[in-house]
Amino acid sequence: MKKVLDFFLSLKLTVVLLALSMVLVFVGTLAQVDKGIWTVMDQYFRCFVAMIDLPVLFPRAWDIPGIRIPFPGGFLIGTLLVANLIAVHWASFKVNASGGRLLAGLALLGLGVLVVAGVMLGWGTAQVAATEDDAFWRVFFRLGRGTLAAVVLYAACVLLYRKRAGLVLLHGGILFLLVGEFLTALFAVEATMTIKEGETVNYVDRSQQLELAFIDASDPNRDVVTVIPQHKLEDDATIDVETLPFTIKVHRYMVNSNSPRPLDGLPEALRKAYPAYEGYGSRLYVAEQREVSGTTSARNAPSVDVELFDRSSGQSHGRYILSLWFYPNFVNQQWDMPTRIMAGGKELTAYFRYRREYLRSPGGSPFSIKLLDFVHEKYEGTQVPKDFSSRILLVNEGEGIERELRIWMNNPLRYARRTFYQSGYMPDDSGTILQVVRNDTWMIPYLSCMIVFVGMAAQFVQSFNRYRRRDA
Amino acid sequence: MRRTLLHAATVLFAAWFFMAGTTPPREAPGEFHLDAFGRLPVKFDGRKKPIDTLARNQLTVLSGKQTTKLDGERVSAVKWLLDNLAGRPEALDYPVVRIESIDLLSDLGLEEQNHFRYSYREILPALGRLDAAARSAFGKESARRDLYDRQVIKTANKLYLYQNILSSFEDPRDIPSEQLMATAQRYMQLESYSLPLVVPPTEGNPRWRPLMSALLAGHPSMQAAGHGMEADPLAGRFGGMLAAYREGDAATFNRELDAYVADLRAANPEVLDKLSFEVFYNRLGAFIKAAQVYLLVFVVSCFGWLFRKEAMLAAARTLMVCAFVPHTFAIVARVFLSGYPPITNLYSTAIFIGWGAVASGIIIEYAFRRRAEGIGNLVAGIAGFATLLIAHFLAGDGDTMEQMRAVLDTRFWLATHVITINLGYMATFVAGAIAIFFVLSGLLTRRLDATTRDGMYRMMYGTTCFALLFSFVGTVLGGLWADDSWGRFWGWDPKENGALLIVIWNAIMLHACYGKMVHDRGFAIMAVFGNVVTAWSWFGVNQLGVGLHSYGFTDSASFWLLLFAASQLVICAAGAIPERHWKSRA
Repeated sequence: MKKVLDFFLSLKLTVVLLALSMVLVFVGTLAQVDKGIWTVMDQYFRCFVAMIDLPVLFPRAWDIPGIRIPFPGGFLIGTLLVANLIAVHWASFKVNASGGRLLAGLALLGLGVLVVAGVMLGWGTAQVAATEDDAFWRVFFRLGRGTLAAVVLYAACVLLYRKRAGLVLLHGGILFLLVGEFLTALFAVEATMTIKEGETVNYVDRSQQLELAFIDASDPNRDVVTVIPQHKLEDDATIDVETLPFTIKVHRYMVNSNSPRPLDGLPEALRKAYPAYEGYGSRLYVAEQREVSGTTSARNAPSVDVELFDRSSGQSHGRYILSLWFYPNFVNQQWDMPTRIMAGGKELTAYFRYRREYLRSPGGSPFSIKLLDFVHEKYEGTQVPKDFSSRILLVNEGEGIERELRIWMNNPLRYARRTFYQSGYMPDDSGTILQVVRNDTWMIPYLSCMIVFVGMAAQFVQSFNRYRRRDA
Repeated sequence: MRRTLLHAATVLFAAWFFMAGTTPPREAPGEFHLDAFGRLPVKFDGRKKPIDTLARNQLTVLSGKQTTKLDGERVSAVKWLLDNLAGRPEALDYPVVRIESIDLLSDLGLEEQNHFRYSYREILPALGRLDAAARSAFGKESARRDLYDRQVIKTANKLYLYQNILSSFEDPRDIPSEQLMATAQRYMQLESYSLPLVVPPTEGNPRWRPLMSALLAGHPSMQAAGHGMEADPLAGRFGGMLAAYREGDAATFNRELDAYVADLRAANPEVLDKLSFEVFYNRLGAFIKAAQVYLLVFVVSCFGWLFRKEAMLAAARTLMVCAFVPHTFAIVARVFLSGYPPITNLYSTAIFIGWGAVASGIIIEYAFRRRAEGIGNLVAGIAGFATLLIAHFLAGDGDTMEQMRAVLDTRFWLATHVITINLGYMATFVAGAIAIFFVLSGLLTRRLDATTRDGMYRMMYGTTCFALLFSFVGTVLGGLWADDSWGRFWGWDPKENGALLIVIWNAIMLHACYGKMVHDRGFAIMAVFGNVVTAWSWFGVNQLGVGLHSYGFTDSASFWLLLFAASQLVICAAGAIPERHWKSRA
C-alpha cells in the first residue's frame, strides 16, 4: 500500500506522464496528415489505450508496414495525472493557518467558490448577449470576471497556505480546466441552423444524429409528425408506431451513399441489381458507398432502404429509399425532395433528416430566428473575405423579446443557454448557416485560464523578487 | 571619461548606420521625379500603399531583392516598375525573374547563370512551354504534385501576377473602336483577379479602380456611345504621365505628376495620408540593418565574454540598445500603417520574437548586471540576428502587411492570444540560447566557472518560468478564441497541439528541477531540446499542410527546420558528455 502511495506521490511520475503525453500529442498531430480529426481524437486522445499507426512517424513516401503499437491513451494519462496531482498536493501542501486566519481563509474560499459559480451561471450578464458595436471589450470583460474570481481565490490561498498559495492555486486551476473539458466532452451539443434570407426558422439540426420523420398534414390546423430515431433503424428491424398507418421494415441502413444520379444513364448491370423503389428511388440511383475519409471536407450522407406494410392487411405499400440527400438543409437548400406516401387514405410526407430540436428558452417558451439580411464582404479589389455577417430578428413572444441583432465572425449571439455562431453561407450568398452550440460549462476555460495565470504569476514574482534581493 | 567616449562613439556609429539611405536622392528639375511618383497611392491586396511599396514587393516576389541592376548600375524598385508600366524598351532587359530549379531551367532552355536571375526577354521564347507545364501541374490534385510541379506553379504564378499588373496599367484610349468590345471583356475578366487599383475614389466615384478600366471609360467611342461614364481626370493624368515617361519627356511627366497630386489633394486629401511615412519606413529598412548590428553585438560580446573584457561588453550593450530603438520603431510603424496589432503573419512573428528576445537580453543585462556578465548581450545578439534573418527570407511572398481573412480579423485576439503565444516561443528560445552557451562554453572553454554556471542556471530557470506562463496563457487564450469563433474550446488542431507541446515541455523542465531529477547541466540539455519543440510549433506544423493555421508553406523551410533540429540534438548530446571531459571542470 505504501509503495502504491509513494508511486503516486512522486514528481518522477509527473515527469514521466507529461513526457508520455508529449509523445501522444506529437503522434496525434502527425496522424492528422492522413486521417480526419474525429478519427484521430477517438484513436489517440479520447481513449484509455491508443493504437499508434507506425507509418505516421515516417515520410509518407516510404513503404512502412502498417503495424499498430499500443500506447497509453489520453484518458489514461489524464486520469493518472489527476491522481498524481491530488496525491502530491494532499501530502505536501498542508493548510498552514489556525484560529482567525483559518476562519477568514475558509470564508474567503467560500466567497471565491460563490464568485466562480456566479460567473459560470452568468449572473449579471444580459439575457440576450450579442455584440452590438465594439467587439474589442466583450471578451476582455469576460476575462475580467475570471480574474475577479481568481483574485478572491488567491487571497484565500494566501491565508490558508501562505508562501505556497500560488502553487496551490495554479494546480487547482489546471484541475478545474481538465474537469471542464471532460464535462464538455460529455455534455456539449453541436447543431446547425440553415436560414434563407427572409425565412423564419424555429429549430436546429442536430448534425451528429439523424431521424426518420413522417409528416401528416391532413389536419389544416396542425401537422402530426412521427419521428423514428436513428438508433432504431437497424438492418432487418421492424418498427411499429401507433400514429402511422403502416409498419416499417428496414432493409438496409447505409452509413454513406452517393449523391442522386438519374437511373437512365446507368449501366444495365447496376440498374438490374437496383431494387424497384417507389418515390424518388424509381427515378434516381442512390446506393451505399464507402465512408468518407477525414482529410477531405466531405461528409457522410446516410440513407435508409425501407419497406412499408399496411398494419391491418399486411400488404406492402412499396419500398422506398430515404436519403439525407433529399433533405434541403444537407445540400444548403439547393433542392427539397420530400417523399410522398399514400397509405390508409392519407398522404404522408417523409424525410430522412438531421435530428430536429425546436428552440425553447429555459423558461419553456418557444422562439425563432428570422434572417433579415446576409452580407459577404470582400476586401476591395481581391477575393479575400473580409466578413460574413447575418442580420437577424430574434422573436420570443412568450417572453416579450423581439430584437434585431447581428451575428458575424468572432461575434456570436448568446441566448437561451445556446450560442449562435456565423459558420457558413448558401450559394449566391442567399442565406446563412449558423453553428449552434449548447455547452453549459463554456465559461470554465475563461475562469481556469485566469486562475492559473494569477497563481503562476504570483509564484514567479515571488521567486523573482527573492532572486533580485540576493543580487542586490 | 574613456567609457563615456566609447559609448558616444557607439551611439554615433549606430545613428550613422541606420540613417544612411533614408533621405531621398536629390533630383534635378530636368530629371524624372521618381521619388514623388513613388509616393502616389495605390490599393493592392486590399491595402492602400505608396507605389514605392508596390514596386519593392513585386521586385522581391520576382527576384528576392528590393533593387536590381542594369548594365552594372543599381536601379531602384520604383524606376524598374515605372519602366515596365510605361513600356520602356529596356524594361525587358532587367535580370529580375529568379528561377532556381535546374530541371525547370533546362526545360525552358535557359542556361544556369549568375544568381539564377533572368530577364523577361530571355524568358519570352519559353513562356509557352512554362504555361503548358503550369497547366498540367494545376490539373493535378495538390497532394500529387511533386517538387517540380510546385516549382513550375510558383514560377508561373509570379509571372502571371506580373503580367496582370502590367495589363492593369495599359492605356486603351487609342485602340480602334472595333476592338473596344473585346478589350472591355478582357478587362472585366482581369478585374476578377487581384489588381493594383491606382485610381483613387473621388466624389463621383466611391471605389478604387484599376487604371485600364478607368481609361477605357474615357475612350472617345465610349463617350460618344453615351454610356454615361465620365472620363476620370485623375486616370487621364496618370495615363499622361506614363506616356510622357515612355517618350522620355521629363518635363511633361513632372508637370502631369504635380498636377495629379494637386488634383488628388483637392478631390480626396485623405488618400495621401500615411504614404510618405511608409516610404520612409521602406527606406529605413530597419529590420535588415538591425540584424547586421545584432550580429556585430554578438561577435563583440563573444570576445568580451570569453576574455572578460568589460569595455567590449559595455560597448556591445550600448550598441544593442541602439539597434533595439529602430527595431521597436519599425514594429510600431507597422502597427500604425496596417492598423493591426503587431503580429498578423509568419513574417511578423519572426520580427516580434526577435524583438522580445533582445528586450529580454536588455532586461537581463540592466537588471542583473552583476550576474549577467554579458550573457544578455550574447542572447540578444544571436537571437536578434537569427530571427530578423528568418524574417528577411519570409518576406519574399509580397506585402508583409496583408489584410486578415474574415475569421482572423479580430483585433482583440490578435492582440492577446497571438502576442502571448509568441512571447512564450521567445522565452523558450531565450532559455535555449543560454543553455547552448552553457554547454558549448563548458565543453570547449575554461570560461564556465562556478559563479557563471550558477548565474546561467538561474537565468535559464527564470526564463523557463516566464516561458511556461506565457505559453500556457497563450494556448488557453487560443482555445478561448476558438470557443468564441465556433464554440469549440479545444479541437486538437496541429498548431494548438504544437503550443501544447511547448507548455508540457516547460512544465516537465520545472518539475524535473523541483523533483531534483536534474541539476544545472541536465536543465541546460533540456532547455536546448526546448528549441526543437518550439521550432516545431513555430514552423514544423505548417509543413504538415493541415489545419486552420497552415499558412506559409515552403519547401526549403522543411530542410532548414530539419537541419536546425539536428544541430540542437547534437548540442544536447554534447551536453551529455561526462563532465570530466569538459574543459571547464569545476
